[in-house]
Amino acid sequence: MKLLIALSLVIAAAFGGYHLSFRRIAGRRSRFSWLHLTGLEFLIIGLLLGPGFSNILDETTIANLSPFSGLALGWVGLLAGFQFEAALIRRFPPPFFLAVFLESGVTILFVFCCLYPLLPLFIPMSGSLHVIVALVLSAAAACTSQSGLVVAGAGHTAAGNKTLRLLRYMVSLEALLPMALLVWIYFFRPGPPGINSLVMALLLSAVLTAVLILYALLLARRRSTDELALVIIGMTVLTSGAAVQVGFSPLPANFFLGLILVNLTREKEKIFGLLVSIEKPVYLVLLIFLGAQWQLSGFWIALPAGLYFMLRLAGKISGGWIATRVVPGLYTYPGLLGLGLLEQGGLALAILLDFQQRFSGPEVSAAVGFALAAIVLTQMAGPYFAHRLIRGVKS
Amino acid sequence: MNRRQYAGESHAVYLLILLLLGAFVMGVKWVGIGMDTPADGWINLALGGMLLAAFVIARLVRTLGLPMLSGYIFAGILAGPFVSGFLCAETVDQLKLIDELALSVIALAAGAELQLAVMKKRGWAIFLHILLITVFVLALVVGFVFFFASFFDVTAGFSTVQLAAFAVLIGVISVARSPSSTIAIISECRASGRFTETVLGVTLLTDILVIIMFTSALAVSRQLLFAGGGMQWNTAVALGWEIIISLAIGALLGKGISLYIRRVKFDFLIFLIFIAFAVSRASIGFNEYMAENAQMSLHLEPLLICMSAGFFIRNFTGQGGYFMESLDRIALPVYVLFFSLAGAALDFGSLILCWPLAVGLVLARAAGLFAGSWAAGRVLGDPKDYQYCAWMTYLTQAGVAIGLAQLAMGEFPEIGNHLHTVVLAVIAINQIAGPVLFKVALHRVNESGRSRHGPV
Repeated sequence: MKLLIALSLVIAAAFGGYHLSFRRIAGRRSRFSWLHLTGLEFLIIGLLLGPGFSNILDETTIANLSPFSGLALGWVGLLAGFQFEAALIRRFPPPFFLAVFLESGVTILFVFCCLYPLLPLFIPMSGSLHVIVALVLSAAAACTSQSGLVVAGAGHTAAGNKTLRLLRYMVSLEALLPMALLVWIYFFRPGPPGINSLVMALLLSAVLTAVLILYALLLARRRSTDELALVIIGMTVLTSGAAVQVGFSPLPANFFLGLILVNLTREKEKIFGLLVSIEKPVYLVLLIFLGAQWQLSGFWIALPAGLYFMLRLAGKISGGWIATRVVPGLYTYPGLLGLGLLEQGGLALAILLDFQQRFSGPEVSAAVGFALAAIVLTQMAGPYFAHRLIRGVKS
Repeated sequence: MNRRQYAGESHAVYLLILLLLGAFVMGVKWVGIGMDTPADGWINLALGGMLLAAFVIARLVRTLGLPMLSGYIFAGILAGPFVSGFLCAETVDQLKLIDELALSVIALAAGAELQLAVMKKRGWAIFLHILLITVFVLALVVGFVFFFASFFDVTAGFSTVQLAAFAVLIGVISVARSPSSTIAIISECRASGRFTETVLGVTLLTDILVIIMFTSALAVSRQLLFAGGGMQWNTAVALGWEIIISLAIGALLGKGISLYIRRVKFDFLIFLIFIAFAVSRASIGFNEYMAENAQMSLHLEPLLICMSAGFFIRNFTGQGGYFMESLDRIALPVYVLFFSLAGAALDFGSLILCWPLAVGLVLARAAGLFAGSWAAGRVLGDPKDYQYCAWMTYLTQAGVAIGLAQLAMGEFPEIGNHLHTVVLAVIAINQIAGPVLFKVALHRVNESGRSRHGPV
């Protein structure tokens, strides 16, 4: 009976949430139009299915479905890497690229410096884990999603549209610093005896080289869409598994493969189209997995969630302000550019899921728990602020 | 089949990929053991490697004129516990949930392939084939076991009563087919026509019949082995309800899916995966609930539910076309995953233990299939090609047969263990030879390449 109730709840949440997220009630402005979920209801579905409620997705089932999470993480990483096509990046003015680095760098630094001393107030934890948690949350804080900008819509003025263009550019390239930070975390975290960062680097290089050779051989011949999908799925799962086997993370491993592939393979258009076509289901799988493992240990998480939200907001605003005031050629852009970069998306969620899977323990679960709660807030508030920013830009 | 169209595919490149893949997976596995990494890394690595190996091997065997399905199965065998050991028995077991998801999707496709108009047109032919094949297979397999049992180690020590029960059970299991293999081969060959429609109808409907027959066989065996153990009519009634409820739930599910397609349509892929998962879990949950709370054995059959859902969508809603196209899009990865896992799960240990008996049963079963399908074809006035080739399409066997053997093992341990071993051995042979012969049959009757649908 519990199973039937849970399934009914899930179906109701999926349908209701879907309509709130992605469709307007035809001909009428919905009273819920201010509520923007972008699929986060699937986080709730995962929560309902997880061990905390119906236990349909129990620990064993989640473990048995690990290929799906490996695929989801790898897919997100690969897609993020595919944004870095050198030929396309070169078309944009160099100040844009500098702005991306400044904005995401300042956000990471700001969030880390503020979060590091405050974390022990909420979650007691030991030395190295304390640093790692703060770094991971800072990396997730730097990520932004495109969907908020899509929902915000076009600007009223040319300046508004220009701002939107810059925002979209920044969002697509923001992944680089967070990924680099993740690599650093995995290289320098305490590992098994005899495995130092140099050994890890050699192992990872060997793995990535072998995977690239396999990609080259498999993509040497033009493939149909079906075959290409199978190759990409197989290679993503293979890479994710290999990365975990050598003590690394599937997310940055696939990210760097994507970065290399987009600049070398002739099938990049087809692969990118494929990655984008399945992006939404992958994102929903991520949400369900995160939700199933989301531990809401009490109302107290509202405090650190609120704190994380505010720190991220302040970091984004600071980063955006510095980028537009320091980088030559960007002085005409609004100082509050960071308001358009609030909504966190698939990459931030992937970082959290990856973190939860690679580092076990109640402290990690608690940290991911409040970070998810904060993401719910940013997902709801982000498009509103982006909309206000773009519409408010004067010529 | 045109081998020239595959001439551009380089064998050397594919062999190099396989070698590199094998070396890579083994190397990373060795590193992982040293580092004591979590289990999910190895599962993903092995699964990814197997998918790619299956893809490559399938393309290699295709150039030899063999079905790609055989390539997927062969890749699974190579990766499985009896050859390379990439996937040990425990890992194969851990991947069972993903296997069930894939089977649910295949069952949806299988149901959707059955068109009511075709069933009406070919109803008599389908019925006659089922009847005659069942009679001949039962007669030949049961007869073979009875007359030659003393020659085989596995059955030499059975008493007459035990032998009779063994013969009846294995006779019924021999009637079972593999709807998933049938769908996959038909889809790969893009086969269409009268012959294909009959084969599809016979295969899909036979599984429902086999479930009914097996319950009767269990009752007969109980009567033979346990003095005074009579026919339990409540079991037969429960079975009837199981089938009716499974079909009804499937129809409701089909209605729900068609509603989703009509009103929402987006993210249909994730919705399908959710449906497959929900059916699998809900069936298990329901079965456990009935056993604990109602003290009765009433099992839902996920395969029947999904087939019924697919059938309903295709024949009673306007969304059949979209549904079929969506399934076509995910067909290739689903088939590769399912059949390579099926290959990894094939039990060659059992085959080694009882291969003479297994070979004998395979031949007896094949003879029964030939006799039954030939006789049905003669009565119907089918072309000679149909009469002589139909038996080749009924050879494949898989999950249903294994499930029935496991039931028998639980019910009659003294003969059930032997039965399970022999059935696994027979399935191993049929799953290797069956797809090849199936493809040959489709080419002989000139029905390959006539359909729009297919993953290739």
